[in-house]
Amino acid sequence: MSVFTLTRREFIKTNAVAAAAVTAGMSVPGAVMAQARGGDGVRWDKGVCRYCGTGCGVLVGTKDGKVVATQGDPDAPVNKGLNCVKGYFLAKIMYGQDRLTKPLLRMKDGKFDKNGEFAPISWDAAFDIMAEKVKATMKEPTQGPYGVAMFGSGQWTVWEGYAAVKLMKAGFRSNSIDPNARHCMASAVAGFMRTFGIDEPMGCYDDAEHADVFALWGANMAEMHPILWSRITNRRLTANHVKIHVLSTFSHRSCELADNELIFKPQSDLAILNYICNYIIQNKAVNQEFVKKNVGFFQGVTDIGYGLRPNHPLEQVAGNNGYPGADGKPKGDPNKHTPITFDDFAKFVSEYTLDKAHEISGVPKDKLEALAKAYADPKVKVTSYWTMGFNQHTRGTWVNNMIYNVHLLTGKISEPGNSPFSLTGQPSACGTAREVGTFSHRLPADMVVMNPKHREFTEKAWKLPAGTIPPTPGYHAVLQSRMLKDGKIGFYWTSTTNNMQAGPNVNGEIYPGWRNPKAFVVVSDVYPTVSAMSADLILPCAMWMEKEGMFGNAERRGQMWRQQVKAPGESRSDLWQYMEFSKRFKVEDVWPADLLAKAPELKGKTLYEVLYANGQVNKFPKEEAAKVNAHAWAGYTNDESEAFGFYVQKGLFEEYAGFGRGHAHDLAPFDTYHKVRGLRWPVVDGKETLWRFREGYDSYVKKGEGVRFYGYPDGKAKIFALPYQPAAEMPDKDFDLWLCTGRVLEHWHSGSMTRRVPELYKAFPDAVVWMHPKDAEKRGLKRNDVVKVSTRRGEIELRVDTKGRNKMPEGLIFVPFFDEHRLVNKLTLDATCPISKETDFKKCAAKVVKV
Amino acid sequence: MNISSVIVIPRPERVAAVTEGLRQIEGVDVAAVSPEGKIIVTLETEGDGETVAMYEGISLMDGVMSASMVYHHKEDEPEVEISVEA
Repeated sequence: MSVFTLTRREFIKTNAVAAAAVTAGMSVPGAVMAQARGGDGVRWDKGVCRYCGTGCGVLVGTKDGKVVATQGDPDAPVNKGLNCVKGYFLAKIMYGQDRLTKPLLRMKDGKFDKNGEFAPISWDAAFDIMAEKVKATMKEPTQGPYGVAMFGSGQWTVWEGYAAVKLMKAGFRSNSIDPNARHCMASAVAGFMRTFGIDEPMGCYDDAEHADVFALWGANMAEMHPILWSRITNRRLTANHVKIHVLSTFSHRSCELADNELIFKPQSDLAILNYICNYIIQNKAVNQEFVKKNVGFFQGVTDIGYGLRPNHPLEQVAGNNGYPGADGKPKGDPNKHTPITFDDFAKFVSEYTLDKAHEISGVPKDKLEALAKAYADPKVKVTSYWTMGFNQHTRGTWVNNMIYNVHLLTGKISEPGNSPFSLTGQPSACGTAREVGTFSHRLPADMVVMNPKHREFTEKAWKLPAGTIPPTPGYHAVLQSRMLKDGKIGFYWTSTTNNMQAGPNVNGEIYPGWRNPKAFVVVSDVYPTVSAMSADLILPCAMWMEKEGMFGNAERRGQMWRQQVKAPGESRSDLWQYMEFSKRFKVEDVWPADLLAKAPELKGKTLYEVLYANGQVNKFPKEEAAKVNAHAWAGYTNDESEAFGFYVQKGLFEEYAGFGRGHAHDLAPFDTYHKVRGLRWPVVDGKETLWRFREGYDSYVKKGEGVRFYGYPDGKAKIFALPYQPAAEMPDKDFDLWLCTGRVLEHWHSGSMTRRVPELYKAFPDAVVWMHPKDAEKRGLKRNDVVKVSTRRGEIELRVDTKGRNKMPEGLIFVPFFDEHRLVNKLTLDATCPISKETDFKKCAAKVVKV
Repeated sequence: MNISSVIVIPRPERVAAVTEGLRQIEGVDVAAVSPEGKIIVTLETEGDGETVAMYEGISLMDGVMSASMVYHHKEDEPEVEISVEA
C-alpha cells in the first residue's frame, strides 16, 4: 500500500471515472479506486426515482434532515448505476422555493367563498369543510354518492392508492375514483384484458439484452425512457446483427439510431399492423402449432364512436358506443366481439396489402416490407415497445390488441427477446393505478366492480357486509370533467396530479367544471400548480423521500423506500390525509340503514375504525417499523406510524397483498421489499417471474403445458380482426395541420417538479411549436417567431422551432405539455378510446398564424 | 466546481471521431475508451446549468447513440491537497 498526495479535484475526478467504469463494466488502468464514502456525515440509503415508469434505483444521501445528493444505484438491476438528466437533479425536486406548507382555502370575510382569495387555515378547519361538502353532496338528489369523486395518480404510493380505494369504494360507496393513469395507459390495460384476460407485460427489461430486433411504435425512448434506451444502445453496440425500427409520426432523437425509420401519417398504425399480419400469413410465416394451441380468433364490433359527449354528431351515428340511446338503453357495447376462424381473420387482413398500407400511411414500401419481414422471420427475436402513441389513441385498445396479433401469429411472445412490451410513463402506474385498482371500474388484482364474485371477495377481505361496494363503474377521468361541468359532482378531490394542465379540452370542459358553483374542488399537491390555483381548497403534501413508499414499475417490479426526511411545515402525506379524514364520518353518515343492518357490530363506528383500524391494517405495532428496517438504521420510524400508532404501511400492504397471492399476482412479504432492489411479480416461493405464461419461467404454468395464457379459462389469448378507421378530428381547410402533444427529455409531464429544478428549467424553459420549415415558410414564419396555434377549442402563443431534436413532416406540428404558461391542452380534443376511455392527445386539427 | 462523469456510446463506426470530438470540448476529459467503444468522460464546469448544457451537447453530437450520467460532485475547494491510500 502506498500513499498519494493529490488535489481534491483530482481525487473526485478519479472517483467519477471509477464509478463510470464500474457502471459500464470496464476496467480503467491506473485508476485510484479510492472510496470517497464515509466520514462526511451523509447517510446513504436505497430509493426509487420519482419520475417515470422505468423505476430506476437511486441512492439517496441525507444530511442534517435534508436530501443532499442522489446517484444511480449500481446494485439496481433496472439502471445498473446509470441516471438520466432528470434523475441527476432528483434531490432538488423537494426544495423548490414555492413548496406548499399550509392548507389554503378560498375565503371572503372569514368564510369559504368560491370567488374568494386563498388564505391559510388549519387542517381541522380544512377537514371540517370537506366533511360538510361530502355529506351535502351525498344528500343532494342530483348528485348522490357518485357525486363524491376523486382523481388520483400513477404517482401515488401503493398504500396511498389502496387507502384511497377503500375510502371511496367502501367508505363513501362511490366508484367515482379514477387515476390520471387513465390519460396514460388505460388503453394498455384494456388491451391486455381483452387479449389475455389479465393485465401487465409478460416480458421484462431483460428482453433488451436478448432481442435481435427492436421496434419502437411511437415511443421516443431516447428522450422519454433514456435508461432503457441506454440498454438498447448497449445491446446494439455489442451485437452487430441487431436492428432497430422506429415508427413515429415525426422524426426524433430515437430515429438517430434507427436502421429503419418509418414516419407514418397519424392513425395509420392500424393499417400498418394489419398489413404485417397479412404479410405473415401470405408468406406462410404463421407459427401454426403455437396458434392452434394457444390462440382464438375474434371479430370486434366497429361502430364504437369516439368517446365524445353523447350529443356529438359522431356519437349519434355510432351503434355500439354503449351510450344511452333514444330508448334509454345502452347502444350496444364497444367491447363486444364474436368468435371467427383463422381463415376469416386471414380474409379480413388480406385487403391490407403493401400498396394499401403504403397509401394510408405514406411510408415507403421498402421500409414497410423490411419491418414486416423482421416480424415474420422465425429466426429473429423481436421486442416491440410502445407508450402514448398507442395508448393515447381513439382506437387505443384496438391498436394494443393488434400489436399482440402480430406477436401471437408468430408465437414471438413470453420468452427472452420475444416481447410485446407496453412501457409506462408514471412511477407507479402499474403498481398503484393498475394493480391496486384505482380505476372507476376496478378492484385490486385485476378484479372489477361489475363482477358479483369480485365484489364478494373484496368485501370479505375488507371485513365488510355484502353489498357495500356498488356494482356500477363510477365516473372515469374525462367523464369526471363533464360531470363537474354538468353539476353532477359536488365534491372533487384530486391528488398528485395536475389535470388542469394535463387533461384534455381545458377550456371546454375542465375549467368550467372546476369553477362550477355546484362543485367543491380540493387539490392535494406539493407546489402551486395550475390545478391547485384553480381549486377551492389546497392541501399541502409530503412527497417522495418525505414518506415511506412503494412504487411498481413497468416490468412488474415492486420497490420500496424508507422515509428519509420530514416534510416541510404542515405538509402531510396523502396516506395521512385519507386516514385522518375518514375519522370525520360515522358509518351512519354515509351508509344506508339496510346495509348497516347487515353488520350491526359496525354501528356507531367511524370510517377510520371500519376501514383502517379493522384488526388487519392495524395488526403491526409501530415498533415493528424499527424491527423491519433495523438493517438500514437503528430506531427507524415514519410519520404515519407515529400519528396512528401502528406500522400503517405494513398493515395496508399485507391486507392488499392478500388479493393477489395465489391468483398469479403474488407479492413477496413486506419485509423482503425493504431489503432487496425490487422483485417482479408473481413472486412465488421467494422467486420472481421474468417471463409470464411460459413453462420454466412462470410457476403458474404447469409442467407439460408449454405456453398457457391462463388469464382466460381456456388458456388461450385472443387475436382480433379490427379495421383501420380515421381519427375523430382531421385537418381540413380551416384547421389544416395535425397537432400532436407530448414530452421532452428535461421535463416530466406537467413540469410541476422539473420546472422547479433551475438547471432543467434553463435547459428547456418554454414550450415551442415544432413545424416543418416549408410549413413555416408557407405562413411567412421564421424560426423563433411568436405564433398563435389554435384549434376549435382555444388558442395559445408560442415560438416556432423548425429544427433541433424533433423534425416534423409537412402537415404536422408538435407542442410539449410541460409549460403551464402555454397550456396546449386548451387546444386538445376530449375524444377517447370508447373501450379504455383514454384521451387521444396525439391527434386533432390545428392552425398556425403569425402574431 | 462541478465534477461529473458520463458514459458515451457512439455508433461503432464513429468511435474514433466521437472520441476526438469530445477531446476538443473545453472541460471534457476522455478518461477511457473500452474495446467495444464505450467512452468514459469527465466534465468539469462552474455550475450545474453548465453541466447540463455540456451533457446535452454531448448527447446531440453526431454519431452519439446515448450518453448517460453516472457521478456528480459539487466541490468548493478543488485545489486543496489531500492524501489517499491506494
